[in-house]
Amino acid sequence: MSKTIKLIGNAHLDPIWLWRWQEGCAEVMQTFRSALDRLNEYNDFVFTCSSAAYYEWVEQIDPQMFEEIKVMVKKGRWVPVNGWWVQPDCNMPSGESFARQALYSQLYYYEKFGITCNIGYNVDSFGHNAMMPQLLTKGGMHSYVMHRPGMHENSEIPENLFWWDSPDGSRVLTFRIPDGYGAHGKESIDRKLEDINRRIEETGHGMMMFYGVGNHGGGPTKGDIEYLKANLEREGFNDMEFSSPEDYFDDIYNDFLNIPSWADELQHHASGCYSATSLVKALNRKAENALGAAEKWDTISSVVTGSKPSTERFKAAWKKVCFNQFHDILCGCSIMESYEDVKESQGFAMNIASEEYNNAVLRIARKIDTWIEGVSEPVLETRHYTGADSGFPRPVVVFNPHSYEAEMPVRMYHPSRSVTDSEGNEVTFQNVRSSRTNDDHLDTLFLAKVPAFGYNTYWLEPDHEACAPKVIDLEADFFMENSFMAVEFDKETGFIKKLVDKQTGEDLASDNFLAIPTVIDDEETDTWAHNVFKFHKVKGLMELVSIERVESGALRSVIRTKHKFNDSYLTQEFILAKGQKTLRVDCKAMWQEKFTMLKFAFPVGGAEEISTYEIPCGFIKRPCDGDEEPALNWADLTVTRNGKRQGISIMSDSKYSYDCPGAELRLTALRNVIFADHYSDRPAADFNFTDEGLNRFSYGIYLHGGEAEKSDIVKEAHLFNNSIVAVPESYHKGTLPQKDSFLYTNLDNVCITALKRCEDGSGDLIVRLYETKGIEDSKGYVMSKMFDNGFWFDIKKHEIKTFRIDRETNVREINFLEGIVK
Amino acid sequence: MPEAIKLYPQLTRVVSHFKKYDIEVPKALLSTKAQKPDLSEFPYPLPQRKKDYTCFCKGKGNVMWYGSNGGVTRFDPDAQSLTDVVMHFSAHRDLLDNNVSAIVPDDENGVWVLTDNGATHIAMVLMSMEEKAERLLEESHKYVARHGMYSQKRLSEAGNLKSILPYGHSDNDGSFSSAHAMGEIFRYATLKRELGDYHEDTLKARESAFRSSEANLLLMFIAGRGDGFVARTYLTKDEPVPDDGLFYKKNGATAVCLNTTDARNKNIVGLEVKADAPIPDRLRKFYADEGYEDTDITYKGDTSSDEITHHYMHLLVAHEFLGREDPEYDELLRTAAINTTKHIIRNNFALREASGEYTTWAKWNLEYFNTPGGWADACLNAGQMLMYLKVTMHITGEQGIFKETYDELVEKGYADLTYKHQDRFHHVSLQGGVEDRVEIMYGDHMLAVLAFWGLCTLEKDEELLDKYRRAFRSWRYSLAPEYNPGYDFPYFLSDPENAKPDPEKVRAWFYRFNVSRLAAKVSLDKRRDIPKKELMGGYYETSALLPNDERFIAKYDRNPLEFKNEDSGGASCVEGCYPYTFGYWLGRYFNFIEEGEN
Repeated sequence: MSKTIKLIGNAHLDPIWLWRWQEGCAEVMQTFRSALDRLNEYNDFVFTCSSAAYYEWVEQIDPQMFEEIKVMVKKGRWVPVNGWWVQPDCNMPSGESFARQALYSQLYYYEKFGITCNIGYNVDSFGHNAMMPQLLTKGGMHSYVMHRPGMHENSEIPENLFWWDSPDGSRVLTFRIPDGYGAHGKESIDRKLEDINRRIEETGHGMMMFYGVGNHGGGPTKGDIEYLKANLEREGFNDMEFSSPEDYFDDIYNDFLNIPSWADELQHHASGCYSATSLVKALNRKAENALGAAEKWDTISSVVTGSKPSTERFKAAWKKVCFNQFHDILCGCSIMESYEDVKESQGFAMNIASEEYNNAVLRIARKIDTWIEGVSEPVLETRHYTGADSGFPRPVVVFNPHSYEAEMPVRMYHPSRSVTDSEGNEVTFQNVRSSRTNDDHLDTLFLAKVPAFGYNTYWLEPDHEACAPKVIDLEADFFMENSFMAVEFDKETGFIKKLVDKQTGEDLASDNFLAIPTVIDDEETDTWAHNVFKFHKVKGLMELVSIERVESGALRSVIRTKHKFNDSYLTQEFILAKGQKTLRVDCKAMWQEKFTMLKFAFPVGGAEEISTYEIPCGFIKRPCDGDEEPALNWADLTVTRNGKRQGISIMSDSKYSYDCPGAELRLTALRNVIFADHYSDRPAADFNFTDEGLNRFSYGIYLHGGEAEKSDIVKEAHLFNNSIVAVPESYHKGTLPQKDSFLYTNLDNVCITALKRCEDGSGDLIVRLYETKGIEDSKGYVMSKMFDNGFWFDIKKHEIKTFRIDRETNVREINFLEGIVK
Repeated sequence: MPEAIKLYPQLTRVVSHFKKYDIEVPKALLSTKAQKPDLSEFPYPLPQRKKDYTCFCKGKGNVMWYGSNGGVTRFDPDAQSLTDVVMHFSAHRDLLDNNVSAIVPDDENGVWVLTDNGATHIAMVLMSMEEKAERLLEESHKYVARHGMYSQKRLSEAGNLKSILPYGHSDNDGSFSSAHAMGEIFRYATLKRELGDYHEDTLKARESAFRSSEANLLLMFIAGRGDGFVARTYLTKDEPVPDDGLFYKKNGATAVCLNTTDARNKNIVGLEVKADAPIPDRLRKFYADEGYEDTDITYKGDTSSDEITHHYMHLLVAHEFLGREDPEYDELLRTAAINTTKHIIRNNFALREASGEYTTWAKWNLEYFNTPGGWADACLNAGQMLMYLKVTMHITGEQGIFKETYDELVEKGYADLTYKHQDRFHHVSLQGGVEDRVEIMYGDHMLAVLAFWGLCTLEKDEELLDKYRRAFRSWRYSLAPEYNPGYDFPYFLSDPENAKPDPEKVRAWFYRFNVSRLAAKVSLDKRRDIPKKELMGGYYETSALLPNDERFIAKYDRNPLEFKNEDSGGASCVEGCYPYTFGYWLGRYFNFIEEGEN
């Protein structure tokens, strides 16, 4: 049994943290040069380095140095690890983002170096979601190196080495770095070596010791290497050798060890990171959603209209998104200036998404037959000659990027007299206040029903007479309902005092007010909230300034509340629309409170409480112990009330943090602390704060009987985050019908997250999907007009599957690497 | 115990092939003008490309039949189960070839199909699942049985049952025949409970149960070494001895090791070993009644843990249902258990060959577990050894050395080894640089099921029971995707609080099981509706488990997700029926399933 100490020379490089990316890039250049020099000086030295983004920088800026690296990689002395674009935060990116991290990086490594990385390596990321083993293995990695949380933060996770399982059954062998990834200097190295040596004696197997100047790059110094060389055989110590993680894991596999296993997430380290700096969170969510939807329509358009797919542009955009998921960026703990760079690069990505989305849906829309014999021609003639609008209904095409049918309100920017669907049926609509102040002040909101990955055409008859009411009805009550829920607000506080789930009859506000904007004192922590896992010190509740009914019509009701806390203001518009299972809340916060959090509290009460949180391509149950928890689009609290299981889910368009102290669920909406403050002594300065100023965001409230996973929460949250889109059209002849669907699955526990062209230019289609409800085994099928057929698949609980369909409709199941790398 | 899943009679494919101008072939098939179907709006995945469909006809009700150059597709929009909405029929199991040029309905629920090589009648026969079991058993009795053992038989002409070869053993006769016997015993126990002791069907089942059990038990005595050594199988003087293992020809007081490659490699050609331990007449009859003497017998050695594990579970089942009503037979079961268990204990937890060496695969000792080859096997083998001891104690009522040994092995960590299967298996897969699913020995699945079912049934100590349940669970990652009731029912019995059957999957498995075990292969490579998943080393799986009647035929020893056309026994083979009858009668006895009426 090998008990060797494997010395892993590395340079932890944060491309952005206490510096902007330009400095990070420069540091990559210097560190890589230094590493090459050390490799040339010391024949046995091995250098390990992650992050394809850095290699691409070098390739673009210093091709000669890149060639030197290629030579060293070929010799096995420079070892790329982690087949991801950067070392991302491992809680907040979506499952699709993790797939892209692997796709673009592994293909890059494969193209440039002829290799892919077998080892996942996120040595600084602050927590690791429970789906990571699957995300890693489907990206071509069988083993993993991580560091946080440390034993002092979570001692239940096995120490040193363990099998890590995700719910679908994937597993990776995981090495938990015991004492930091960057030993440097004799004293530090000796201390770590002693610790490592002790661990080898305790466990009976070899260990890795990570050394090299890090964070701001640097890497192993000559002094470190020479000191280690002089001590490779040291009295009282196990043998040491310069090595790589891959070499270490190979040794472990070749031994016969009883290794413990772990089938849960790896948390917590920096609990404040999931709410700090709302801007970066919102940009990430929006960019992920925009790119995913645009790419789907670009692909459909390429099949339906023959347009050239924009695969390369999407790759460029996704690489920006992947870069901005770097842990110190997405976790909101970098310096303020760096977020200007994030805005810039996420803007690049989202602009590509917007352009491609618009191009694609318009290409399709223009193929739809909207021509009405005897009507369209004179209407167009009138307009062409006089510029006058005849008042005849005009077509609007609504597109749905989801794999399930969507029925929800959609907005057009003028008022209407009537709305009908493609079959001539009357459609519920409402003329609502627009965001503009000129002309009629009104937009049309209508209830569109659109098939999966499809479109539907609606006909809107303009209303030139419509005019917004001048006054607000001060006598109105503060109650609204639809077929799914009834909501009433307390006039004194503006909080929800009745929230009835009409499916179960349960009033979740029967014991306590709900949706309480609560200000939390957060002065004692740093930006990460190191060593703090609970945020429970209430500073106060926001006080009501005003409450008013803004709308009440056939399609929806809107009640607006305004609250204040010292100099901070919060406006919430509660929107309940016909046929909608989610109560939408659009928020505008003018936030001035330093060292605070803003939480929305839902103290529903009840027994047997369990909280459920969305994680990448799945969900996880956690105890309601009040710890601050990361989540993707939604979190849920389910309790027993009146002998029945009742749940409340909160979703958001941009938030990632919740807590659940007992039978109470709280969405953390804002966290306003000093940028990049690592428990500093806070010298006198006019600090900038992470969430100060104007914040716009939305959250939604969804009720259900039974457990969260049996409900429609995943679908609701996806629709909430990525709405259907209406495109104004005109009269023209076309080959497409007024309503169509291009792709769907029969399983309601499966969500299709990607529809794209294969990266190899073959023109093959890629379809990626995952199981959403935690059902152990399902059999289903995908159907599509795009490949003139469909295919069957089996899928396990939370399993992600990717398929590749060629022009002859042969279907292959592949991993994230699209079958390009075997 | 949840309510039994009702299995209703189903339209089941029964296929007959004809020459194009055979008198049986309806004239309409030859004269019909093929019309290409319009499948543009077909709402489900089609097995072939739409453009490859050449003809169609309407069947009964709303059923449509479509012919293609890749076989025949049946569409029943009213089917009860999604699995049955679209069925596909392909060569050579269902068609002479795949190039369909005409298709016409028959007078019932089936169709006549014209292809390049002739005509095929696909009859869709309404059949209960019990009728299917009887039909399969009858086929096995007629074509597979060999001295009361049921594994498989070879054919001289592929697909032609009339060309059956009269001899031919399987290396694992002791395993497959045990599974067959257990199925027959559960059949008897079920009918006895449902129809009473003296019903004609019960009596027939009783006879079959005893016969198959006895034929199998004979393997535990036939070597005549007197030390509990178990033979893999045996041949009579009229059956050729193949060169695929160690064979001992009985000559009276001794048996001599024959000249085979394995024997030469082990340098034991001509080695003599004791062979005169008496064989109970009740068991000896299987060859004596065929006119053979003891000296006409050649038995096969180098027996593996596969056979031993099956034998012990068979001993337990036979004891419970046959031994309890036939003390004489129970005594034979006890004797077999005691002799073999003592052999294993005496030989350092291994089966020892005449040469003095352990057999290749029957090793349950720590020395083996600590070898590179045995490290991953240890978890299953530890469970097997504990099961043997538990079974022996249970059916003999004796504790003594068996209990002492059991406690000693538990003390040495055997029980704690059992649940490390997945960890160690995954570890050695990575060691070999292959994916788990490539590395799996699918033959081990049944061994794990029997070992842990046995342990979970017999162990009363809660702490140990928890470990054995955990061990059984550690196999589910590879067992569960097969949806095989023969694996799943024992698992549900072993952990009733935490595991329940899925009615839809259970029904699909039984409904779509082939009515014949005749090898004929399918044309999976032409399917467009089933994704192909490439694993390492050029090994392919399907992304969806195909119904039994649309995938290759195998015993409980192959990966049913494997993307292949050929049946596992090769093109010229007829398999025994236990893969169906074991699961069916076990399910019936333990009330997982019951017959329903349409």
